[in-house]
Amino acid sequence: MNRFSLAASRGIARVTEAALGPYQTAVIRIGFSATWLLFLLREFPHRHELYGPDGPWSWGLAEQLIGTNKAFTTLMWSDGGAWFEIVYLLAVLASALLMLGWRSRTMSVLFMVGVLSLQNRSVFMGDGGDNVLHLMSVYLVFTRCAQVWSLDARRAARARAAHARGERVTDRTGPALWGVLGLVLAGATLAGRMESDWLIPALLWTVWVTQGLWWLTGRRAQAGEPRIMLDVVANVVHNGALLVIMAEACLIYATAGWYKIQGSRWQDGTAVYYPLHLEYFSPWPGLADLLSASGTMVMLVTYGTVLVQVAFPFTLFNRRVKNVLLAVMITEHAVIAVVLGLPFFSLAMIAADAVFLPTAFLRRMGGRAARARDRLLRRGGPGQVPEQQVHERPEATHVGFGT
Amino acid sequence: MDAYDGGSEARHGPGGPDGPGVPAESGGPVEPAPPTEPPAGVAALSLPYRIGVALALAVVAVGVCVHVGMMFLHVAPPNTVTREHGKAVDDWIYPEFEQNWKLFAPNPLQQNISIQVRAEVRDGEGGTLTTGWYDLSAEDGRAIDGNLLPSHTQQNELRRAWDFFLATHDSENRPVGLRGSLSESYLRRIVVLRLDRDDAVRAATGGVGTIERVQVRSRTSNVPPPKWSREKVSTTPAYRELPWWPVPEDEAGGGVR
Repeated sequence: MNRFSLAASRGIARVTEAALGPYQTAVIRIGFSATWLLFLLREFPHRHELYGPDGPWSWGLAEQLIGTNKAFTTLMWSDGGAWFEIVYLLAVLASALLMLGWRSRTMSVLFMVGVLSLQNRSVFMGDGGDNVLHLMSVYLVFTRCAQVWSLDARRAARARAAHARGERVTDRTGPALWGVLGLVLAGATLAGRMESDWLIPALLWTVWVTQGLWWLTGRRAQAGEPRIMLDVVANVVHNGALLVIMAEACLIYATAGWYKIQGSRWQDGTAVYYPLHLEYFSPWPGLADLLSASGTMVMLVTYGTVLVQVAFPFTLFNRRVKNVLLAVMITEHAVIAVVLGLPFFSLAMIAADAVFLPTAFLRRMGGRAARARDRLLRRGGPGQVPEQQVHERPEATHVGFGT
Repeated sequence: MDAYDGGSEARHGPGGPDGPGVPAESGGPVEPAPPTEPPAGVAALSLPYRIGVALALAVVAVGVCVHVGMMFLHVAPPNTVTREHGKAVDDWIYPEFEQNWKLFAPNPLQQNISIQVRAEVRDGEGGTLTTGWYDLSAEDGRAIDGNLLPSHTQQNELRRAWDFFLATHDSENRPVGLRGSLSESYLRRIVVLRLDRDDAVRAATGGVGTIERVQVRSRTSNVPPPKWSREKVSTTPAYRELPWWPVPEDEAGGGVR
């Protein structure tokens, strides 16, 4: 009993004192926002056909379907062409800013609004990759995903430095952004545009109100108790969301794997051959033929795929095995991107996998990326390199599961 | 992702994973309190605030457990619990947490399904002509060939529209419910758009004209089994022909260009 309560209090201390996995949450923030950004840019020429008011899935058709499923989309606020262009451009902008980590909480909300607005507007255009982004865009809102590798982290470091010098830093952008978005939110609510299911509107209002409270409680130099409590609760919510994100990734693999086991083609070892020969998933027929030339190879890949997918959730209890499987899965998704012509699905899946990457590896990659950036900047001119210190808290860099 | 089904109207389930408070910073996360500042964390709080933290912890813990449990039930095969509480699961999942991860499972598709269309065109002099069949899926396939970044318009649009059609029609091609009629309009609009892109009217009449009716059919052919397998499957394609659909005047132009 004593041991149990000790473990419980240690666990509570861990989830309250820090937002865990700063590198992991940063890498998925960058991964998901970059995937959506690249997708939106790729589809820019096709945006009207996919989501526009006069596309095949016209505004009128979408209105009838959404009337029955109550999904959230700002695109139903107006059937005008200009409104559509604005929403599309804002979705692009929000993804880019979230990727950079500028005002990340706010951008994560706008990112979610962009993803839901476009995807819910035309549900029949998406595939598994869109599904992953849809869910993750909601979960990201709950995370403190910009503790590292972000403009916010740099700004916070600068504010700390200025604070140490005894300077006072006032943030004008944050309150301005908050005010504008509050007006939009209030306008939309009063105009009766929030006709969707209550969840997303409630989430939008909750984040907005909490941001206001965060600002109010942080105005004094000395952090008062309300501010500390908000900080602790933010950690708790972040850690809960991180757990949900990891559970979601496991659920994806478990579902994909366990249903495959039941299929005769996955049992007889020929399954991988078939998608390679479907018109819609064979951009490189020559390559597909090469890959499926040997029956033994196809069987090994077929069995290997199922094995890895089914096994992955269980390997989380062993750091080394998990990392090997992670490498295998990321490689397989990179191959799928090219061979089956599913680049954005694969990118989204790789981003989801990245939440399980070990901290040491992520920091090494981060260091390498920073050096590459510095070299580029130096070559590009005398531009000075912004210092970005990561607030090192060794105990806070673990995601759990012995990562 | 599959289409959201409008199965459940009432949306009054318990809270989502959001709990009562989503703490956020004015304009962006801030790093955990730096060590130069006075003690942070639960240790710095007096009892009332500690109770607040405990409440938040409980709500988040329950929220996470319920959410993960609901998602598990949503992706699991129909079972005793979902038979009993399927409505509660659906209320929680729809509309925003729907998911389908049966990726190429239980079996990968082993047939190429080509959607083909032909049109009845009224030419400038009032005569009526029927075009040949246009294989739209083959066009998609060619657009995907050698393409590192296939567009959703090439890879998903027609393919999923056909899936939607099949899921909402009986074997006599009669629509089932609202979604059935929506799927017909959708498919019709896609094929008219594609015929317009293929310049089908000009090809048929040599000049101007309008599409009056369209007919869609699917051609299903088995993927030939691998060379190294001893399996034999029929290579004769199967056709499913839909009735002719009139094209409303305002749609004949094809919508998006």
